[in-house]
Amino acid sequence: MLTADNVLGVVKILIIVGALLNVTPIMVWVERRGSALIQDRVGPNRVGPFGLLQSFADALKFILKEDVVPAQANKWLYTLAPMFGLLPALTTMAVIPWGRAFPLHNVRVAGHTFFEQPYLFDPIVTDANVGILVIFALASLGVYGLATAGWASANKYSLFGGIRASAQMISYELSLTLAAVAALMVAGSLRLTDVVHAQTGYFVLFGAVKIPAWNCFSPAMWLSMIVFIVAAFAETNRLPFDFAEAEAELVAGYHTEYSSMKFALFFMAEYMAMAAMSALIATLFFGGWDIPYWNEPATWWASLLTMGMFLMKVIAMLLVFVWVRWTIPRLKYDILMKIGWKVFLPMAILNIILVAWFIARRWI
Amino acid sequence: MIEYAVFFFFAAVAVVFATVVVIHRNPVVGALSLVASFFSLAVMYVLLEAPFLAALQVIVYAGAIMVLFLFVIMLLNLQHQHEPATRPIQQFLGYTSAAAFGVGLIYYLTKYAVLQSPTTPFVAGAREIGVALFESYIFPFEAVSILLLAAIVGALLLSARAGKGPAQASVTAQVDARAEHLP
Repeated sequence: MLTADNVLGVVKILIIVGALLNVTPIMVWVERRGSALIQDRVGPNRVGPFGLLQSFADALKFILKEDVVPAQANKWLYTLAPMFGLLPALTTMAVIPWGRAFPLHNVRVAGHTFFEQPYLFDPIVTDANVGILVIFALASLGVYGLATAGWASANKYSLFGGIRASAQMISYELSLTLAAVAALMVAGSLRLTDVVHAQTGYFVLFGAVKIPAWNCFSPAMWLSMIVFIVAAFAETNRLPFDFAEAEAELVAGYHTEYSSMKFALFFMAEYMAMAAMSALIATLFFGGWDIPYWNEPATWWASLLTMGMFLMKVIAMLLVFVWVRWTIPRLKYDILMKIGWKVFLPMAILNIILVAWFIARRWI
Repeated sequence: MIEYAVFFFFAAVAVVFATVVVIHRNPVVGALSLVASFFSLAVMYVLLEAPFLAALQVIVYAGAIMVLFLFVIMLLNLQHQHEPATRPIQQFLGYTSAAAFGVGLIYYLTKYAVLQSPTTPFVAGAREIGVALFESYIFPFEAVSILLLAAIVGALLLSARAGKGPAQASVTAQVDARAEHLP
């Protein structure tokens, strides 16, 4: 069973899981320093240079804290809920391509030669032909972590957080899916590698100006890009849509009763879901791993550069998440529902019609 | 080999959680078990090389419908987490009908089901299902859409108070109504 597929598959999984596990400590630091920057404060600057080791101190604190289970809580579901929340966040990245494929041929490691038959290394864990549906399926399961946590805690505020989370995520899932349909229509495929490949060309304006064929540069896509990014904020429960937590109204929402590592798991799930969502936004609208104005040769170093490009796009999107969180205040809950159903859903549907028209006229 | 391991693991999971749905007292635990059962069914679809159906199974049943179920249970069942004990006749009817259905299913499967994989590859991709829905089955498809629309309109009508439009009480009216029940 020690085939190249299996070994490299495990390597890819380790890369993705390792990257996702490291997202949380780094993003916590970025978030705290970023919020300090935006609010004209200093932020954590005591542990390590620029406070970089603050996250490790936080992690140590989480591990050492007492793990309290409320007496009235449903013990099983209370323990399972953080895992429900973490699993979808960890697995979503499996179908997102994070670099250009390159051939491996006659690789010499420690005196042995591997890959005597050329082997195409594709930087994606599983290139499922229903890629994006897998992501939506997993994202739709993400709500159970929040809802179960809210219910199992036997706390009124937690329950309110859980109920709000389920209503909110059902509402915005529709807009999210319909907004993504536009990008899929252009690619003509549900496979995310095809979505990226459809964006590697150029739009040529007036026969002279070349613009990368990323979906974000095509006027037909602007509406769906706005809807998708806003719905992504709602799906990841980030401000201005963090009604499941809403610390001003619900103490801490669904995780009010959680402490120690169980709380840390919710924390990790939030940042991992954010990273996965950023990767999805980069893939659907910002060309994925495509480097503009460069026809990448099929070599390992060019592939590494595309991975770096993808990482940069994801980081840029993560910074937008932080920027928005500390800039826009929380909405009212009825406004959230109103704009979800009456603004974003019609906008997403209108955009599908618009894209269909563009495709029918062969403009994109 | 690994297909068999995956199949038997998830088959066991599906059966165990389906049993929990029937026998567990707590409706929230029941709903979550049903989600686990649906998810295991989706794994079966993947094993049958129909990943599109698997994704739809999770999105529609586990992701959307069961979230609504859970939402309603959590909203309505605030005071008592455990359902009050039902009358013996209800329990008897519930268990016997579930058991009868299970026995009938096993009988039917062992007698009529074809327990071997088809010789021609089974194609159930997005394109094939879309073409089938919009060409061969366009009439049933539209009929179901209209049926669902009618159900939505009916639900709206039922929830509306007589002659006052959709059920939307103003905040002050809600507060007043609440105040009447206060000591």
